[in-house]
Amino acid sequence: MGLFGNNFNAAHHAALEAAQKEGKFPLSVNRVSKEYLNGERVAVDDMSFDIKEHEVTAMIGPSGCGKTTVLRLMAGLEYPTRGNVESFGMPIKGPGPERGLVFQAYTSFPWLTVIENVQHGVAIQGYSKAEQRDRAEHYLKLVHLIDFANAYPDELSGGMKQRVAIARALAQDPQILLLDEPFGALDAQVTWEMEEMVVEICETTNKTIVLVTHDIQEAVYLADRIIFFTSQPGRIKEDMAMEFKDGQRFKRKEDLLSEPGYVEMEKRLYTMMREEIQGRIS
Amino acid sequence: MNENAQTATGMASAADNGSAPIGQAPLFKQPRDGFFELRGTVSRTQTIILGFLGVIALFLVWELAHYLTPEQQRKFVPSATQVTGKVIQLFAEKGFLGDVAKSVYRIYLSFFIACLVAIPIGILMGSFIKMRALINPTVGGLRYLPAASFVPLLLVYFGPTDFAKMALLFLGCVFFLIALILDNIEAVPRALIESAQTMGAGRIHIIFRVTFRSAAPQILDSMRNMIAVSWTYLVIAEIVAATDGIGAVMMRGARFLHVDVIMGGILTIGVLGVLTDITFRVAAHFLFPHTHARR
Repeated sequence: MGLFGNNFNAAHHAALEAAQKEGKFPLSVNRVSKEYLNGERVAVDDMSFDIKEHEVTAMIGPSGCGKTTVLRLMAGLEYPTRGNVESFGMPIKGPGPERGLVFQAYTSFPWLTVIENVQHGVAIQGYSKAEQRDRAEHYLKLVHLIDFANAYPDELSGGMKQRVAIARALAQDPQILLLDEPFGALDAQVTWEMEEMVVEICETTNKTIVLVTHDIQEAVYLADRIIFFTSQPGRIKEDMAMEFKDGQRFKRKEDLLSEPGYVEMEKRLYTMMREEIQGRIS
Repeated sequence: MNENAQTATGMASAADNGSAPIGQAPLFKQPRDGFFELRGTVSRTQTIILGFLGVIALFLVWELAHYLTPEQQRKFVPSATQVTGKVIQLFAEKGFLGDVAKSVYRIYLSFFIACLVAIPIGILMGSFIKMRALINPTVGGLRYLPAASFVPLLLVYFGPTDFAKMALLFLGCVFFLIALILDNIEAVPRALIESAQTMGAGRIHIIFRVTFRSAAPQILDSMRNMIAVSWTYLVIAEIVAATDGIGAVMMRGARFLHVDVIMGGILTIGVLGVLTDITFRVAAHFLFPHTHARR
């Protein structure tokens, strides 16, 4: 990371575009292990998989399975003990704006208004003042928050704060959007609204999204593919394409319920979750 | 049809016996919110009235203490009105305003310099763990040295100068200020810094526009608390070889057993302290509008 930031330069952008044309994956996890306490605790054990472009991939598993760790490795906020993570063929050496991250914790800057928060992320990318304003307004409209542009984050509800975070991450124009249990702190009804909003964002932006969640229904509803992690140490238990959806995205969550194969998929995931939780107790 | 008729008569009878929902329900009469209500509420007016009552109570006790003191010693316990009168007289006849101005100047300038030193050091230590490892053991230890013990040393080095007095005031608060600001910086949530990193922000940007900006209201609060400590050191700083300042006036009063002058000095320092506190609070209100946003 550069001392003065703004490391998202033209050369880097060109290299990324070239890599995209060559058909390289947005993210490749290559034999990654992550150990803590000098190897006493293994969070992730020799894991390999690729994230495909324009897909929504959900990483799911019981708590402590290393799913958040893998996401943080992808973001560049932590480094693997073994192996490496690549983005479009280039090793990840730190956090960067091409991989936007939405945290579970509220990360809006409380001293900035909603629109200033979104503009802040855009400004770091070196956009002009007018462009900053335009981009911020565009993404605030996308998350249905334009009416609250001049409010402070502390005046907003939890769901609205997360919408600011999503708008901010999108406005920095990332290739990949990483979502770390973004609705984990929200109540069921707000979570539902937010999930449907994510579907809307998928439709309009066609972003590559990696979602960490512990919510089986959420994963099935949002993801094109689910990677199920085993409990401590984290390994891939199963890597499942959501074929029953047949590439459809459902604007309304309840429309998914009548889709053939939905119930079986959810039942299978619950069974897998039970296996992992029971395995830990015995 | 029959059913409809029945409900119609049912409604009519409800209206007849007078319990029909006409207009609004009567206001609920709340149980009294007494003085000793656990975690009760207090209105703005009540806060102001109670605050003044507290001050009046203090002055009443003081006044009472004067009259309860035996006749012979009574001049050593002047009453609140006598002291207040003395303060007014000091201002009117003895040029006390000049002394007050001098003391205020010493406090504010020395405190300003202490902040200039402490804020960068606190930010450096809070941002870089190795800087913290380098500086913290030393600064942590220096906090335990009583500032008053520096008085002889400062006299030898700088003589009875303004500089010596301000140096003492500086030493009295700078180490605590560093420790407090370090805490403020470290209390900035990690997720705020990490989210700035994922936006592509560099270290300089994060330190000034995220960490410092996030901790700024708490830093101003630390400053407000530490300048209060500075006021407590004022008299020590102005005890020795001072010709002006509130402390010097009080020491002169002590030489002639003018208890009313000493108490007047204490009273003045107290009032100035409260005014300083209010200044900081008002500044915080205007500098950080987000801290009192509607929720």
